[in-house]
Amino acid sequence: MPEKKADLLQGTLDMLILKTVALGPVHGYGISLRIREVSKEILQVQQGSLYPALHRLEKRGWLLAEWGESDNGREAKFYRLSARGRRQLAEEEQSWYRLAEAVSLVLQTS
Amino acid sequence: MRVPFCRKATREEIDRELAFHLDEAARANRQAGMSVAEARRQASIALGGREQTAQQLREVHGSVLWEALSINTGAALRFLRRSPSFSFAIILTLALGIGANTAVFSAIDAVLLRPLAFPQGDRLVALEQHDDGSKDPETKLAPPRLEDWNRLNHTFGAISGYYTQDVSETAGALPERLQQVLVAPRFLEVWGVAPALGRSFTAEEEHFGGPLAVLISDRLWRRRFGAAPDLAGKHLRLGSSSYAVAGVMPASFSTAFPAHEADLWTPQPVDAPYAQSRESTWYTAVGRLKPGVSLEQARADLAIVQAQLGRQYPRTDRTLHAVLVPEKTLVVGEAGSSLWLLYGSVTLLLLIACTNIAALLLARTAEREQEIALRFSLGASRGAVGMQLLSEIGALALLGAALGLLVAAGAIRVLHQLGKALPRTGEITLNLKLLLYTLGCALLATLVCGSLPALRGTRRELAQALARGSRTQVSTRGRLPWVLVTAQVAFAVTLLVGAGLLLRSFDQLRRVRAGFDPAHVLCFQISGSWGETADMGRLTQRVDQTLDALRATPGVRAASTAAALPGTGGAAPTAFHLSEGEQDPDRQVLADSRFISAGYLATMRIPLLRGQGCRAGDPVPAVLVNRSFATAYLMGSDPLGRHLQLAAEPSYATGAAVRGVVADAREQGLNQAPIPTVYWCVEAGTPFPYYLVRTEGDPMAMAATLRAVVHTLEPGRAVYAVSPLADSLSDTELENRLRTTLLTLFAATAIALASLGIYGTLSYLGRLRQREMGLRLAVGATRWEIARRFLRQGLRVAAVGSCVGFALGWLGSHLLAGMLYGVAAADPATYAGTALLVAMLALLASAAPAWRAARINPVEVLREQ
Repeated sequence: MPEKKADLLQGTLDMLILKTVALGPVHGYGISLRIREVSKEILQVQQGSLYPALHRLEKRGWLLAEWGESDNGREAKFYRLSARGRRQLAEEEQSWYRLAEAVSLVLQTS
Repeated sequence: MRVPFCRKATREEIDRELAFHLDEAARANRQAGMSVAEARRQASIALGGREQTAQQLREVHGSVLWEALSINTGAALRFLRRSPSFSFAIILTLALGIGANTAVFSAIDAVLLRPLAFPQGDRLVALEQHDDGSKDPETKLAPPRLEDWNRLNHTFGAISGYYTQDVSETAGALPERLQQVLVAPRFLEVWGVAPALGRSFTAEEEHFGGPLAVLISDRLWRRRFGAAPDLAGKHLRLGSSSYAVAGVMPASFSTAFPAHEADLWTPQPVDAPYAQSRESTWYTAVGRLKPGVSLEQARADLAIVQAQLGRQYPRTDRTLHAVLVPEKTLVVGEAGSSLWLLYGSVTLLLLIACTNIAALLLARTAEREQEIALRFSLGASRGAVGMQLLSEIGALALLGAALGLLVAAGAIRVLHQLGKALPRTGEITLNLKLLLYTLGCALLATLVCGSLPALRGTRRELAQALARGSRTQVSTRGRLPWVLVTAQVAFAVTLLVGAGLLLRSFDQLRRVRAGFDPAHVLCFQISGSWGETADMGRLTQRVDQTLDALRATPGVRAASTAAALPGTGGAAPTAFHLSEGEQDPDRQVLADSRFISAGYLATMRIPLLRGQGCRAGDPVPAVLVNRSFATAYLMGSDPLGRHLQLAAEPSYATGAAVRGVVADAREQGLNQAPIPTVYWCVEAGTPFPYYLVRTEGDPMAMAATLRAVVHTLEPGRAVYAVSPLADSLSDTELENRLRTTLLTLFAATAIALASLGIYGTLSYLGRLRQREMGLRLAVGATRWEIARRFLRQGLRVAAVGSCVGFALGWLGSHLLAGMLYGVAAADPATYAGTALLVAMLALLASAAPAWRAARINPVEVLREQ
C-alpha cells in the first residue's frame, strides 16, 4: 500500500532535511537541490513530500523559519536548525542505524 | 477537505513559499533547455501539484490534534479494511453491548435519576396519615385535616390533594368512561403547572354550590373537541350535571401525573357539607416544599402540627401522625431494584464483551509484533504506537456505539410499551445525555478492550523480539489470555446464577395452586360515582339488578362482584374485634378485608367448607371467613354464628355474623401465601366494583353481549376495563416475567461469549504451541495425552471462573431479595445446574482446539520452524 511506504520514508526524510539544514540557513528549493546533490542523485526526494515535512518540523520546533532574500534577490523562506532540532537530529541518526540493522536482519531471516 | 484551524496569514505564506519554489525550479528547467510553458509544467509536476501541496501544508498547520487524529484515523481505517470480518464482529458485539447498556441506562435515567417532570419536581412531597394503633391501614386524608395541615405548617408553599373516580361522560354519542380527578384547593399551585389553554378554576368554582367547571386533558381535548382553540361554550356531561370546560392541561402533565389515565380535573369544594368529617379518608395529599427546606425540617414541622391537632381533636387525631415521602419515591415504587439489577447485568455483559475483544486483540497484536517492532526501529515512541493501537479499537468502538444508539432507540420503543410493568416509561427519550453516555461507553470500551493489547504489544523488548527472530517467544507469556477468559466465565456465571434463581422462582410460582379458578372469567367495571355512596341502599339495589341481568344471560354460569380483583394484591390487613369470648389484648386479630356479592364462591370456584355463602338483600351484616382465619383466631369454638367488628369502625352494635367458612385462596397475589381473610357480604364495596362473570366458553367472546345487557339496563353508564381475569393476573406478574426473560437472555449471551472466549484462546494458543506439541509427539506422547491437556485447560478455566462467579453471584443475590419465590438465594440446585452447564460448555469449546492439536503432524511442524 502506498501509504505504508510514505510512513516508512517519513522518518528518513525528516532526518535528511535536518541534516541538510544543519549546514546553514537554506530555503525549501535549496534543500531539495542539496539533498539531491549530497545523495549523488540516488535518492529522488519527492518534492511533494518535502514541504509538508518542512512545515511539520517547523511546527514541532525543530526548524526555525524566517523570510529573507535569496541569491537572486527574491523573497524566500529560509529554514535553520533550532537547539531542539539539533538534539533530534542526533537521535534520528542513531535510530537510523538501528533501522538499518533491523532491516538487514529482516532480510536475513525472512 | 477544508482545514478549519488554518490562519489566513499562514495560507498566504504557503502560497508565497511555493511560488518561489516553482519559479526557481522553472528557471532551472528553462536553463536545461525547456520551453517556458514546459518548464513550469514540469516544475509543478515535480512538486506534486501546487494546489495539492498547498492543501497538505494547510493541513499540517491545522492543529496538532487534527494531525494526530488524521494519522490515527487513517491507521484505524486501514485496520478496518485489512480485516473486515474481524472488525465487523467487534463492531457488532460492541453495538449490542453498548446499545443494551444505553437502553437500560435510559430507563434508569428517566425513572430513577431525573426529578419528576414538574417544575422543581424534587420539592414535591407526598403526605400520608398513619395511625399509631395501626387499626386502620388507610393513609388518605380527610378534607378538614388537609386544610389544617396546609394552614398550620411553615415548611410547605402549599399542600393539596386529589382522589380519582371513574365517571361516564354522556354528552357524546355513546356514554364514555373517563377518569375524573377531584382536587382540593391549590392543586395546580402544588404541581406548578398551569393550563396550556384556557384558565384555572375561579374562586366561585371552588365553593360548594358554585358553577361547575372542569379542566380536561390534552388527549380528550383533541379527541372530543378536535383541538379547537376556543373553549367558550364547550361542555361535558358527567353523571347528571353539565360542566363548563375551563381549560386544557398540557400533554406533558398527563404523562407525569401519577394517575396517567386521568382526563378530567374538577374542584372538590372545601365547604361542602359532606366534606366536614375528620374521619373520612379521601385525599392523596401532595405538598410543595418552600425553597431551601429539607424533608427533615418538613417532617419535624408536620409532627408539631399534628400533635397540636391531636390535642384539639383528641377523638379523631390523637393517634395519627404525618408521614412524608418524596413524591418520586412513591411514583417509582419498587421499579428501582429491578432496574438496577438489569443495569448491573447489561454492564457485566458489556464487560464480558470487552474482555472477549481484548483477548482477540491481544492475539492479534501478537501476530503484528513484526510490524510494531519495525515502527519502533523507525523511532516511533511507545506512546505513538500505543496510540495507534488504541485508535484502531477506538474507531471500532465509535462505530459500535453509533450502531448501539440505533439498538438503544429500538429498545426504548419497546420500553414505552411496558407502562404496566414500569412507571414513568413515557418520559424515556433518546436525548443529548444518552448520546454523551453512549460516547462515554465507547471511550470506556476502547480503554478496557484496547489498553491491555496496547500496553502488552508495545513493550520495548518487542523491538528485540524481532532481532532474536524467535516466534516461540510469545507462548511463554500465555497467562494473561487465561486471566481474561476466566474473568469472562466468572461474569457469565454471575449472570447465570441470577437468571437461574429467577427462573426457578418463576417455575415455583407457576406450580402454585391459587385456590380459585381464573379461567373462563371475564371482569369489567361499570362507571359510578362516590356520590352514590350517600345512599347505600340504592347503590346495592343497582348492583344487584345488574348482577341479576348478567346471570340471566345465556352463556353465563355465574356472576358476582368484588371490590378488588382476586389474586392481584390488596390493601394491608385490617384489625378486627371478636364480639364473643375473650380476646387476648396483646394479640391483634388482623385479616384481609374483601367485599364480595352473592355468587362469588361459585364464580371463583372457591369451595365452601361450612355454613353458607353470601345472600343478596340480606338485612343483617354477614361475613365469610377463610380457613386460615378460623384456625388462627376462632379455634376451639364453632366459627358459625360468631360476630366480628372492624376495630377502626365499631359502627355495627353487634358486629357481622360469620355465616360460612371457605377454603384458603391466594387472593392477595399468586406469590403471597393465603392470609386470614374476612369476606364481607357487601356487593357494592365501591361504587364501581369489579363484575366477575364465569362464562361457558371464551370469556372475551361474551364481552359484547354483556356490554349490551348493561347498556339496555342502564344506558347512562359506561362499561370499561373489560378483560379476562387470567390476563389481569398475568399483568401483575409482567414485571417479574420481563425481568426473568431479560436476565435469562443476558445470561445466555454472556455464557455464549465466554465459551467463544475459551474456544478462541485455546485455538490461538494451540497455533502458537504447535512446535511444542510436535516435540511432545515426537518424543512419544500419545495424541490422547495432547488432547487431554487442552480439555483440562478448558475445564480449569471453567472451574476457577465458576468459583469466582459463584462468589460474585452470592454477593449479588441480595439484589434479588424480594424477587424470589420459594427459592433460597443460595439454592443448591441452581448452583449445581450452573456448574454443570458451564463445565459442559467449556468441554465443548475446548474439544475442537484439542482435536486440532492432537492431529498435528510432528514431522511437518518441526521442519516448518
